Amino acid sequence: MYRILHDTKFDFIKWWRHAAALTAAFILIGLSSFLFKGGVNYSIEFTGGTLVQLRFAQPPDPSELRATVGEAEITQFGNDTEYTLRLQGSETIAQQASAAEGVAKEVEAKLRAKYGDGFTIVRTEAVGPKVGAELARGAVIAMLLASLVTLIYLAFRFEWRFGLAAVISTAHDVLITLAFIKLFHIEVSLTVVAAILTLLGYSGNDTIIIFDRVRENLKKARKEPLYDTLNRSINETLPRSVLTHVTTLAATIALLIFAGEVLRPFSLVMTFGIFVATFSSIYVASPVLLYIERKFPRKDLQGRGSHVSASQARAESEADSPRPIRGAKTPAGR
Amino acid sequence: MTNLKYRLLLIVGLVAASVFALWPRTVIERVKRDGVFAYDTLHRVPLKKGLDLVGGMYLALEIDESRGAVANKADALDRALKVVRTRIDEFGVSEPVVQKVGDDRIIVELPGIDDPERAEQVVQKSAFLQFMITDETNALERALPRLDQIAKDAGGAATGVPSATTDSGSKQSGLEKLFTKDTGARTADSAKTDSAAPVIPPTGGTISGLLQRGDMPGEYYISQANVPRAEYYFSLPQVKAAFPPGKTLKWGADTLSLGGQIYRTIYVLDSREILNGEWIFDAKPNNSPIDGTVVEFQLTNEGGRRFRAETAKHIQDYMAIVLDDRVMGRPPVIQSAIGTRGQITLGRRDLQQAQDLALVLRAGALPVPLKIAEVRNIGASLGEDSIRRGTTAMVIAVAAVIVIMIGYYRFSGALAVGALVLFVLFTLAILASFGATLTLPGLAGLVLSVGMAVDANVLIFERIREELDRGKTVRTSIEEGFHHALTAIVDTSLTTILTAAVLYQYGSGPVRGFAVTLIAGISASLFAAVFVTRTFYLLWLTRSSGAQTLSI
Repeated sequence: MYRILHDTKFDFIKWWRHAAALTAAFILIGLSSFLFKGGVNYSIEFTGGTLVQLRFAQPPDPSELRATVGEAEITQFGNDTEYTLRLQGSETIAQQASAAEGVAKEVEAKLRAKYGDGFTIVRTEAVGPKVGAELARGAVIAMLLASLVTLIYLAFRFEWRFGLAAVISTAHDVLITLAFIKLFHIEVSLTVVAAILTLLGYSGNDTIIIFDRVRENLKKARKEPLYDTLNRSINETLPRSVLTHVTTLAATIALLIFAGEVLRPFSLVMTFGIFVATFSSIYVASPVLLYIERKFPRKDLQGRGSHVSASQARAESEADSPRPIRGAKTPAGR
Repeated sequence: MTNLKYRLLLIVGLVAASVFALWPRTVIERVKRDGVFAYDTLHRVPLKKGLDLVGGMYLALEIDESRGAVANKADALDRALKVVRTRIDEFGVSEPVVQKVGDDRIIVELPGIDDPERAEQVVQKSAFLQFMITDETNALERALPRLDQIAKDAGGAATGVPSATTDSGSKQSGLEKLFTKDTGARTADSAKTDSAAPVIPPTGGTISGLLQRGDMPGEYYISQANVPRAEYYFSLPQVKAAFPPGKTLKWGADTLSLGGQIYRTIYVLDSREILNGEWIFDAKPNNSPIDGTVVEFQLTNEGGRRFRAETAKHIQDYMAIVLDDRVMGRPPVIQSAIGTRGQITLGRRDLQQAQDLALVLRAGALPVPLKIAEVRNIGASLGEDSIRRGTTAMVIAVAAVIVIMIGYYRFSGALAVGALVLFVLFTLAILASFGATLTLPGLAGLVLSVGMAVDANVLIFERIREELDRGKTVRTSIEEGFHHALTAIVDTSLTTILTAAVLYQYGSGPVRGFAVTLIAGISASLFAAVFVTRTFYLLWLTRSSGAQTLSI
């Protein structure tokens, strides 16, 4: 039997301050970037506008191409013969109001005059602003509803403390992913929204797996402080976490490398999200659960409540000194 | 033992059903080839691919309210939907999609279309019929001095106007489009293209020089050579702004030959229509010795009542019959109030055209004008590219997962891989039987779910290892491992399914495809990991009963 990370006794939660500082810094940098540099790049699906994807027979001179199409935003798409042109200005939108395809045809006419048959148009998309606004609203509603549904489900299956901790951890994931999208200039399209929503589910899964173990361990060892129960549960589920993340990462990296330019933003967000999900289920969900337990101790477990506060206080005062985990016995001992 | 037998039977049955669901079907497809409908017999895997994978065209149509508000939108859209569907069927594409989204939009998907322009025309050809009264007040003539000045200024500002001498045929069709779209945006468009194209400077300079009075109030002739220039001036936003209020300009559909010169007619009409095609009950083509080809139409009782009331107010006026913004034939004079019956004179056109018109009027007149709110064109080559790359990513992801699982869990990992194969088969079968469309994001979801699908197996295997650590027997460890892992698996699967359901409800197009793939994937993974792997274990346990060790 080949094993990794078997029977580990890491004190994960001890590092929660460092982890919190790290993640808060990343989110803050991302959010301040929002403040100072404006919002994220939305795809034309959201803003409305026209996108034309071109495939040239010969690699064109980018500056020449830029001069030909005027105000369009030009991006190289994969290799040097493919380009996308994007028109998202208010002028474009106004022009599209009567007939969506007008702008695309105008761009094509300009390009034909310059390059003749030296290129093919492989994709055009022209979206009205109304459609985009609806989509954006739909995405926000979907995200809020998904969180709400998760909260209700977990409150029902576990108890509200676990549900709240899971939802806070998920909200953290969304924030940090938004920061990532902003800092790495990833264009927010519908597919990226789908990736974020998938992450909601994935990160929720991770948290649930750990909480499921916490619930089980709580039943087994009633006298153990929650701090230790959490650490033990994280350690016990560690091999599973690593293995699942590795297989899922294999899939997203395969997408990143082989699936081409269209899916690149999706794959990037997913790959980043897998790391975030792992991180947050350990360093956000668990400390938050500890905090909630301390604030709102269970009535039926008075003893545990005081234990929790005690261990929490200790964790805070001794955060930097190494300390063995109490109660993390070998499973065979029970 | 019997338990195991039933389990095996269920799995074999589901595999058979899945294979059946994915087995290539014989489909008879109606396609139009050289203008004739033909029936093709094809063998095809019944898994529909989205436009982003096969290439094609996507259109979102909305009610165009630039010509006036529409009262009962939902109802109008329902009828417009039927019309568009009929026309698309006539167009002859394989597996088109025409459906209403929300209550204000129709989406049309035409897979494999390589002539988007024609498709757009077919969809948008509104057959929008209006009856309008020609202007009796010489409004245009009174406004002409002002319009002339504006046109002159604008003519000087722009580098030029379209040439009248080059290729009048194609020019004309472009101009037709120009004028049917009644907005300033179009003008900006034409001004830009004009400045890029070689141009001939204007010679006449002003509008009044182009116009000749016609035989009836509100009718003007413009010589064919001057049509492009007139088009240009009339489309200028400044000219439009200065146009007499309550009046509108419409071109005649036909040309007119006067003294060896070809003329187009243009009419000044009261903007308010007295009736539109919504009230048409029946229409049929006919050949009249006096008028040539005609389409006789019959209005509904309600339409007839309105028509009678309106025409009674306009006796001795001329009534223009406007079809898709073109005045059909010469406007006839209203002799007396007209009731439920009338005719549209097509003049020299052949009977075929009258039949087509009668068809669109009868079943196909759009109750409201539609505009294209959204277009997507995806080239077939791009689609092929996406499929190829998606498949590569899929194969590599699967290979990586197989290596990891067998490398780490050995024999048990091989069982998980067997379950994974069934997982992919079940997922595709679910998608096929629900008629779901496989889109590129859907494909990405599928690749991703391969990575995630083993999660359930990993959870189970880790549990079994823990139980074995406690010194339990192989059989008990397997039992307990499955038992303990189940709650976590159910919880994670259900939350993900709930999230996907929310996505499906509030997403659109590609995101919905993604959500469906996700739901299908999770259901299949739940079954494959929990039920199938367990059955494999049970099978192995009966084969090698009394096994002391488990390769895990």
